[in-house]
Amino acid sequence: MRFDVVIIGGGLAGTRAATELQKSGLKCILVAEGLSLNNCPKNEFKAAGGTVLQGDRVVSGVFEGNRLIRVFTEKLGNEPLEAGQFVLATGKYFSRGLVADMDKVYEPVFNLDIEYDSDRLTWFDPSFAAPQRFLEFGVKTSGGVALKGGVPIVNLFPAGEVLSGVSSAQGDATEQILNSAREAVRAIRRN
Amino acid sequence: MPSKNEFDVIIIGGGITGAGTARDCAMRGLKVLLIERHDIATGATGRNHGLLHSGARYAVKDSESAEECIRENKILRSIASNCVEDTGGLFITLLEDEEAGFGLDYQQKFIDACLRAGIEARAISPSEAREMEPSVNPSLIGAVVVPDGSVDPFRLCAANVTDAAMHGAKVLVYTEFIDFIREGDTILGVKVLDTRTGLKAEYRAPVTVNAAGIWGHGVAQKAGVHIGMYPAKGALLVFGHRVNNVVINRCRKSADGDILVPGDSVTVIGTTSTKIPFEECDHMEVTPEEVRLLLREGCALCPALASTRILRAYAGVRPLVADDSDPTGRSISRGIVCLDHETRDGVKGFVSITGGKLMTYRLMAELATDLVCRKLGVNQACSTAETPLPGSVDGRIETVSKRFEGKVTAGQKGAAGRQGDLAGKLRFDSEADKQLVCECENVTLAEIKYAVAELGVRTLGDLRRRTRVGMGTCQGTLCIRKAAKALAEALGDPSLESKLAADYLDERWKGMRAVGWGDTLREMEFMQRVYKFEKPYSYDEI
Repeated sequence: MRFDVVIIGGGLAGTRAATELQKSGLKCILVAEGLSLNNCPKNEFKAAGGTVLQGDRVVSGVFEGNRLIRVFTEKLGNEPLEAGQFVLATGKYFSRGLVADMDKVYEPVFNLDIEYDSDRLTWFDPSFAAPQRFLEFGVKTSGGVALKGGVPIVNLFPAGEVLSGVSSAQGDATEQILNSAREAVRAIRRN
Repeated sequence: MPSKNEFDVIIIGGGITGAGTARDCAMRGLKVLLIERHDIATGATGRNHGLLHSGARYAVKDSESAEECIRENKILRSIASNCVEDTGGLFITLLEDEEAGFGLDYQQKFIDACLRAGIEARAISPSEAREMEPSVNPSLIGAVVVPDGSVDPFRLCAANVTDAAMHGAKVLVYTEFIDFIREGDTILGVKVLDTRTGLKAEYRAPVTVNAAGIWGHGVAQKAGVHIGMYPAKGALLVFGHRVNNVVINRCRKSADGDILVPGDSVTVIGTTSTKIPFEECDHMEVTPEEVRLLLREGCALCPALASTRILRAYAGVRPLVADDSDPTGRSISRGIVCLDHETRDGVKGFVSITGGKLMTYRLMAELATDLVCRKLGVNQACSTAETPLPGSVDGRIETVSKRFEGKVTAGQKGAAGRQGDLAGKLRFDSEADKQLVCECENVTLAEIKYAVAELGVRTLGDLRRRTRVGMGTCQGTLCIRKAAKALAEALGDPSLESKLAADYLDERWKGMRAVGWGDTLREMEFMQRVYKFEKPYSYDEI
């Protein structure tokens, strides 16, 4: 299947980016594991003509040079989703946008470059109420696009909480999340 | 008439040893005061496996400890039935054990030693072992069945304290020992501080018992007495569900991380053993190295642990005591140490009971109480081995459940399992009382009200130790607000809610930080979201 944009992740950032991109005339597919909590924004995207791949997750991707050209999902198996542009909005640990093991944090779909501290003892503050460093970790960007092995992937735009420095777990980050989605939308329209 | 501040015996320490000693002394007709600086079971008592040892672990090297264990094992099964679960135990032999010289020859030696100590032990085939406990390492080459079990140390301690109080003992928690009242070479009582009000008080008794575990070292120092104690830290990990239903041990020389114990809704692996300075005893952190070691050894017992979420890590301190007979202080006694400081050090009216283990607390209490009675000239025999603890008189869930009207709910069954026949005291006056506050452990509002009214609960930590609230698979993520509100209301001060919740979250957070990766980290992010994100997404603003 071929689309203009594949949006990976159906949370606040993913649904926002998907709806705006679809409304601007691009053919979009939203891959959303999804809670029913997000039905309202997903319906808005569908009303605009977008396609939702519900209950599925992207598991891997194929790169050609510094571009992502197709992704594979758990349920579609060998049938790829191809697109010119991709938005990565998979969130933090709880939604598995990031995965932590004993001494490292990684982005599990594309193995993108991550901003984090390898010393796990620094991840937490002893006070539950204090800001927690592990929630600041996330994917690095350069000019709005993701990096893989230090190389910018020119058509892969991370948005929302998968980004380093963006977290709504410690307070209201709605504006920050929406802004990151809007930036991804602007960049994709320019591309 | 004696003043209300005068007692026959003062016991310092509300762990299982102090609680058991208070019960024994009270049952022998003594006027007892028990003081504890935090809550009951906050030291080593609440920081171990919760293993009801059969004694098999000690059979080869220390037959005396093994015999003590199996005797007390049988006694606890009868006097503390609502604290004990008869899981049975396995001692497994792996190929690597055989290579290390602990193969099937050793297994036979182990069985012989068990039988000599009076512990029923019988070899079964690897396939029989797997049928008995499907989670066991499938590559085992031998297994021995022994009468291990699990014991809830919080419940056991609370039952002893409750029974002591029912026999007239005065129990003061959050009351810290500051110093002795002393005249010449005689201890006349203690000076204490109420750590919540800041008020000081003095209590007098002809005998004071030091049952303060590792902190007993400092208590003895205040009496000018030296007990050569060694704080030995033991770290443990709790897993997110009951992975095994039978206790699994390694059939080899005792080592780190070789016991896996199922207890209530979870499984515990432990322990490590590290000598630490006394200053560290009050704030121990489990290190990444300890976690790695426990995981590695745990997976050798039960490979499924590798993919099971770890709920938390914790550590306790064993009060090891140097043998008085060894002038170098190097030889450590693992057995019970009961010291009469009058004959040993010339300090009258002061007794220390230490060493030992959770399993032998009743025997320790008996020895200490015998000594107290001799000093007081009281001639009363010990009856703790025959008298069931409150909750265990007839604690079968079916019997207890009959006391509730209508259809018995999960919460009522949970309470019956935890509080035994005392669950009959729970009042389900309204539908709200039947509501579950903690859904992992099936704790109702009625049980929380009961714990506040009858079990001296003041904090969520206290409540956890009496009811298991917040101890299950979500670690309180989904119930702490509810529990804090219910507790604050039961305490008569709704304004306490936020403080109660905050203190509890910090305590849970500590245990999770040590194992903060993988699914545990996901749970931690979720916990942060539940408690910190006050403003939900509003799509109106978009």
